[in-house]
Formats: sequence, structure tokens, C-alpha cells
Amino acid sequence: MTLTGATGFLGSHLMVSLLKDGFRIIVLGRSKKEETLQNRIFRLLLWFGIKDSADQLEFVETDFLKPMLGLSAEDYKRLCTSTEQIIHCASDTSFTERKRDIVFKSNVKSLESILEFAKNANADYFHYISTAYVAGANVTVCKECISSPTDFLNIYEESKASAEKIIAAFCKENSLPFTIIRPSIVYGDSRTGRSLRFIALYFPIQSVTYIRDIYLNDIKNNNGKKSEKFGIYLDEEDYLFLPLRIYLPKAGALNIIPVDYFVNATVRIITNATPGGIYHLTNNFHTKLEDIAEYNERLMKIKGVEIIYGRPADNILRNPVEELFDRFIEPYRQYLSDSRVFERVNTDLATDNLYPPEFTYDIFKNCMEYAISVNWGDAI
Amino acid sequence: MLFLNEMRPVKVMEALKNHVESYIKNGGKVKSAKQDILLSEIKNIVGAEWATNDEAITITYSHDLSPISDPKIPDYMVMPDSKEEIAALVKLFKKNNVTYTIRGNGQNLLGFAVNEGVIIDLNRMKTIEFDEKNWLVKAGPGVAAFDLQKKARERGYRINASEPAALICANIMCSGIMSTFSTTYGINADNFIDAEFVDKNGAFFNLNDSFSPNLYSYKNLQHKNSPGICVSASIKLHPVTDDESGILVPFQTLDMALDFIRDCAVRHIGLAMGIVGAEYISTFLSPTKKTASEIKNIFIDKLEIPFLVVVIGDKYAIRTIGEMGFPYFDQRLFKALYPGLPSLKSAQWLELIKRLSDDEPYSYLRIDNFAELLETALSPSPELYSQEIEPELRSFFEKLFSGNEITDLVWLNMYRIMSTRLGRKKPFLPVLIYLPIDNVLINELNDKFRLIADKYNIENDFGFITPIDNGKRCILEYDYFYDYNNPEEVGRVRLAGTEAYIMVDDYSVKTGTVKGHPYVLYQGFCRKENLLYS
Repeated sequence: MTLTGATGFLGSHLMVSLLKDGFRIIVLGRSKKEETLQNRIFRLLLWFGIKDSADQLEFVETDFLKPMLGLSAEDYKRLCTSTEQIIHCASDTSFTERKRDIVFKSNVKSLESILEFAKNANADYFHYISTAYVAGANVTVCKECISSPTDFLNIYEESKASAEKIIAAFCKENSLPFTIIRPSIVYGDSRTGRSLRFIALYFPIQSVTYIRDIYLNDIKNNNGKKSEKFGIYLDEEDYLFLPLRIYLPKAGALNIIPVDYFVNATVRIITNATPGGIYHLTNNFHTKLEDIAEYNERLMKIKGVEIIYGRPADNILRNPVEELFDRFIEPYRQYLSDSRVFERVNTDLATDNLYPPEFTYDIFKNCMEYAISVNWGDAI
Repeated sequence: MLFLNEMRPVKVMEALKNHVESYIKNGGKVKSAKQDILLSEIKNIVGAEWATNDEAITITYSHDLSPISDPKIPDYMVMPDSKEEIAALVKLFKKNNVTYTIRGNGQNLLGFAVNEGVIIDLNRMKTIEFDEKNWLVKAGPGVAAFDLQKKARERGYRINASEPAALICANIMCSGIMSTFSTTYGINADNFIDAEFVDKNGAFFNLNDSFSPNLYSYKNLQHKNSPGICVSASIKLHPVTDDESGILVPFQTLDMALDFIRDCAVRHIGLAMGIVGAEYISTFLSPTKKTASEIKNIFIDKLEIPFLVVVIGDKYAIRTIGEMGFPYFDQRLFKALYPGLPSLKSAQWLELIKRLSDDEPYSYLRIDNFAELLETALSPSPELYSQEIEPELRSFFEKLFSGNEITDLVWLNMYRIMSTRLGRKKPFLPVLIYLPIDNVLINELNDKFRLIADKYNIENDFGFITPIDNGKRCILEYDYFYDYNNPEEVGRVRLAGTEAYIMVDDYSVKTGTVKGHPYVLYQGFCRKENLLYS
């Protein structure tokens, strides 16, 4: 199996699962900050508790923006000969428009050289890890097919949709079997809470935690001078009352899946793939922001978070916490109140009715406690 | 001194005093200064107590902070009190063929305040006379920039002032006054109305006399001879409005900062302006020398602020910069940031700030009430700022930060305090040049300055850039840091400085627009047009 993006969140978990299943993996990637690709992967494997997999792994330092992946003719030929299936997991997950060029280079332009490689390697399969959010913001049912929307929420969605179309066209033209796997928002392991990356679901929780600590410090060390001004206080049960009104455009929920489900489902899809198959790795249990706020209240001992649907009236005064939080969740606001439904016909068939778990308080607690224990990733 | 580099001269003085007492107690001999005819004649002019050849005193004039000069003990030191006394001294020295050197506060960047022969110390000549109807103040050669600015502010005016300890006349003599206010107040001849001199024959002349040498001219010569001794300068007074404030505009690249200052200078937005790097700002803000590098890393890695533009302006200028779309740290944020700086080191919430910047750089500065958040998060206080400082110095810093001035960007720039701490870790040799605000040229020169320093293994960093003359030119400083107590390193910094200026000379020939600062020595009275465009 040839894998890209093995140093990323999804790619690394997938790599470990494949190693455990006995696959031999050729990892394509780059060194970073003077650390070789091999060392980066070995460091990651240590985190997974895997020490003796060196004989299953081969590392090829590549540049996807260069022809022949930036390799010499000889190395390229050898790589093509050794490759059977390709899982293309590498991706830039930035949402910001400011990074349009970088994201498009990473997620779209790079396909020229990667797809050419798949063709030259005569790959048995090209598996592409995409996102469930390629169908546009205003669709009601997201189908397991290629669509051409224009109403993307961000540059990431747009680039992934663009990539899907290029892959589908190229593979069809070159009779290259392919699959497209579309996970929704992925969090840590639902059983252990462990995770390598703490983005998406973790961001708002991490923000509230930091804000809580700022005001707790003010209350404990400065007599709460600043807190008092905005009605922030510590109640008799040691809960911090933090007035935080979160405005969402409409009622809806968050579609989140744990990384262990992503890995298990992806492995099953790869094993039972249908050429041209598109698979939604999404959750039928929708998690409301109110649920997360309630979990957060219990775990972080914070009260005062209120979810309001609609726009704040012009005359409503926001406190500094609300101003900050508002700015912070802006890129995620639509995902927090999403009402889109994801078709899962192909997925249910290929994964033998494997489903992600409901996001319960226990899972939330495991995940967030782990995140805090590793200082939101800094200590990994 | 405590504020600048945490040094404690009083301790050194005490140790020296104890050493002398112990030396005498143990029978050590005291060397008496010999009287000679020249000294007697000097004393006849200035009074017995204002001239000496006592080595215990003359040795204190033997060195300065310039790495270029070697220590030299003068034979005599004299402190005149009037221009007449100076004229008499000059005549005496001419008659006896005695070398003499004028000394202000002894910080000549090129080491020209150190010499053998006689040192004429002008520190007694501190007269300050205001002529408000003509918008000028006449300052004696012993008046320091800080004192003159203070007097001007008391009357509601401002002068363009150099480093606070620099003597204003000496400063003009050497290379002219420059500061962030040079953006609007100008440089060199822009800063004064007239000046009075004693020439080499002991005769007086005024700059505005029709027969005086043309000091407004500029010649592209290094080490041009001094036109004489400046015994007073009539400095321009500038009006001040009551709505002035300071802001810090952050930038991710030097190019962006250059575009900004050029735009502002061309459009006449702001009174004072300068680009500073993370080294500059962190060295100034940090409570101790030790923490400065940690704070620098926070500025670069966490806040992603490698460059800041300091702008002083009235409410209209500041509002315009906001309308131009640039987020900035205003005076209130700066007042939270400076005394709250120690909290930054352990601030986990900086992650949030960084993430908010991912979407739009520094967008957190646009959040309503961000100042409230920052004040809560940093808990700024004189006590917090002082907690890392050695216990015996804490009360000084607590008192300093209890006042408003040290966190007032206008005050800090007006008295040029912000630059004073730059050498707190190590003294530095500034490489100063005048050039157009040309991004390619500036980046190229910065790279070359860095490469030269790296070649000699000299610590180095970008200093500052201030736009001048409506954005047509700027002043760039690149700094080479060295250990004053390491002769080998001093030797290397000399070589690096020499090579840097040779490189600047090459660019001067190649571009026709770049001028190295050493060429301005003793030509500080020149018209800026003659300096910049000839």
C-alpha cells in the first residue's frame, strides 16, 4: 500500500491500522524542519506504541508539486514498480481564503503528479480521502456522487470538491479504479480519547478553557476586578459563571465521527471497494451544540453558555468573551448548526453496517481529558 | 542606568572607594598631579577647579563605547563655562600647538571623543533660553536632549531630540538630529534656526553670518574637518496638540511594513514613524536582559510579529490608519502589554490569538473590548513587571511603572527612550544609511549586513527604519552587537563595520541614492537636500 499524508491526523491512524493488519506500506512525504520523513513517522509510531514495524515500512521523500514526484527517473521507476494500491490522504485543511493559493496547490495542483504516478504505477486502486462537505452549503441531502456546487463554506471544501472531479475524470479516462472516501468532522479515539491533532471539535472547547483560566486567575489573584464588570463569578459549587451567548444561524447539529471509526470503515471500504465508489463516513447521530455545551459545563465546571438561534439584535451589548468567542467560531459556525443529511448507501454496503457511536458525555470526557493531559497537542 | 541595562554604577563607585581607602591604609603611595605652565594658563582662563591633569580624572575620559576607538588618556581635561572661555582656550592651544578634542557625553559612535592632548568637556554650559515668538530655544553645548525636551514640553512645545543623554549641540555637530519625529520634523538643517561657533583661531561666527563658512553644504567625504566648536544652537520649537497618541502597527514582513510607512509618509499621515524589529521591541519591553530573547521568540513565533511600525499622530492620523485597514495596538493595549509582559511567557491563550490570526493577521486587534481581555489576561502591574528583576532593583522599577510616562508611546518616542535599551545585552555598532524606501534595495542591504556579521561571527539584527522627507528617503539602521570586554570580539566588530560601510560605498556608487552615515560626520549642519540628493 502506498500512502500519502501519513504524518497527518487521519493518515497516521490509517497507517497504524494497516500496519497492524500486516500491510507493507510505502510512505510518501517530506522532511520538515530538518527532520526526515522517516524520523517523523518513527516519532509518530512511538506515540501509537509501535516500535517494531520498520520492516513493513519504506520511506520515499517526494515533492508532489514536481514531475515524477520530484524523484530521479530510477527512483521513480522503482516506486512505480513497487506500488499496488494508493491511498491519498495528504491535504491542507486550512479554511482561510488568505491561503487559497497554498491550499489549491496542496490539494489540487499536486494531483497532476500524484495521478500521473498512479497511472504509471498501473495502480490497482486509487483511494482518495476527501470530505463529506463537498456538496455545498445549501443542499439538503448529500449524495454519494460527484456534484458541482458553488456554495462552499470555505476554500478547503472548494479545493476538495475540485480534487474529486479531477480524480474521477482522470481515473475514468485512464481506466484506473478509484474510490472517494468522505469523512465528516473527525475527533479522537472514542474508546481511549487519544488523538494526535486537536482541531475542529476541540477548538471551541480549548478556547473556552483558556478563557475560563484567564477569569479564574483574575478572580483568584486580582479579586475578580475585571470579571465582576462582566458578570463573571465563581459560584458556591466552584463553577465559573461565564456569560457566553453563542449565536447560530439556524437549528441543526454537528456531524462528528471518531478516528477509530474512520480507520475501521476506511479499511473495510478499501477491502470491499467498488470502482468509482463514493463513501460518506458520517454519523447518523447528530450532536447538537447544546449537548456539547452541557458536557462542557459538567467537565470544565463552566456555567452560563447559552445557544441562541438567529442573529444578535443590533442593540445587544456583547461582553469581551463573547466578542472573542464569536470571532473564533466564525469559520465553524455553519458546521455547528448543520442540517444536511448524508447518503450512506455505498458506505453501509462496503462497511457491513459499521456505524460511528453517538457522541456521549463519556466520549467527550475521554477526549477532552486526553487533550488537556497533552496540553492540546503541545506535549506530544 | 538601572533602566537601560540593570548596571549599578553606585556599587562600582563604592567598591572603588573601598579599594582606595584600603590602598592608603596599607601604606600605598598617592601619585600627585604635576603642575605645569600650560595647566596654569588653562586654569587662569577657567578657574583652578575646572581644569586638571590628574590621571585619576583624565583616565575617565580615556574611553567611550565606540568599538572603533582605542583608549587614550588625555593630558589635560578642562571644563569651560562660556564661549569666551572656549575662545581663549582655543587661542592658547593654538599658540602652544596643543591638540584638543571636544567632548559632549562621550558616546561618539565613531570614537572621536577620545584623544590625547586636551579634552574640552562642555558639560558646564547648560544655558537654555526660549524665544517663543520666534519658535526657537537657544541651548548651550552642555545641554542634553532630554533636559531640553523637558523644558520645551513644560512650555507646551516639542523639539526633535536625539538620544536623551546626547548633548544637543554635539549631536548636531556630529551627524545631525534624527528620531522617529524626523518623519515630519526632518533631519540636519531642518532642526535649527542658527548656531554659534568658535573657529580654530578662537574667533566667533554665527551660522547666519554672511561671512561664515557654508555649513549648509554637504561634501561626500569621510571625516571632514570640524568647522569649529559649536557653543550654542537655536533649535526649532514645534507645536503640540492635546490629542496625540501612539500606536504599534504589526506586520508579518518587512516589505509590508515598508509599504505602510511609505504610504503614510507620502500622504503626510502621522507625526513620527519607525519600523522596528522583534529584537528592538523585545529588548525594550523585557523586564530583564535574560528574558528579552524569550519575549522576542513570543513576538515572532506566537504573535507572528517580526516587525512593528511605531506611529505617533493626532486623532485624525490614528483614525486614518484604522480606516486604511491596519489593525494596531493602541495606547491602552500598550499600557496592558508592557507592564503585563511577564504573563505572556506562560500564556497558553496565545494559541487562540495565533489561530485567530490564521484567518486574518492580527484580527484579534479588531475585536471590540480586546483591551479588556488583554488587561484581564495579563494582569499588568508595576509589581508583576518587577517580579523577575533582582530584589534590590525592584522598588526602582515599581516606582517607574507606577507613573504614566514609561507606558506612554508619545513620551517614549519624544524623549527617544525606546531606543535606549537596545544595547542592554551588549553594546552595538550601528550601521546607519540614508536611502530610498525601495523594498528590494533594503532587503538586499539587510541580507548583506547580516552576511557580513555572520562571516565575523557577530551577533546582529535589523535596527529600525524611519521615513524622511515625505517618504522620498529613509534612515536604516542595522546593528552589530559585541562584547565590550572581549578585545577579540571588538576586533571582529571593527572589521565587520568596515566591511559593511565598504559595501554601502559600493551601493552608493551603483545606485547614486545610498549614503553611509560616516560621511555625515561633522556635517550635521548641512541641508538634508544636499545630503540626500547630491
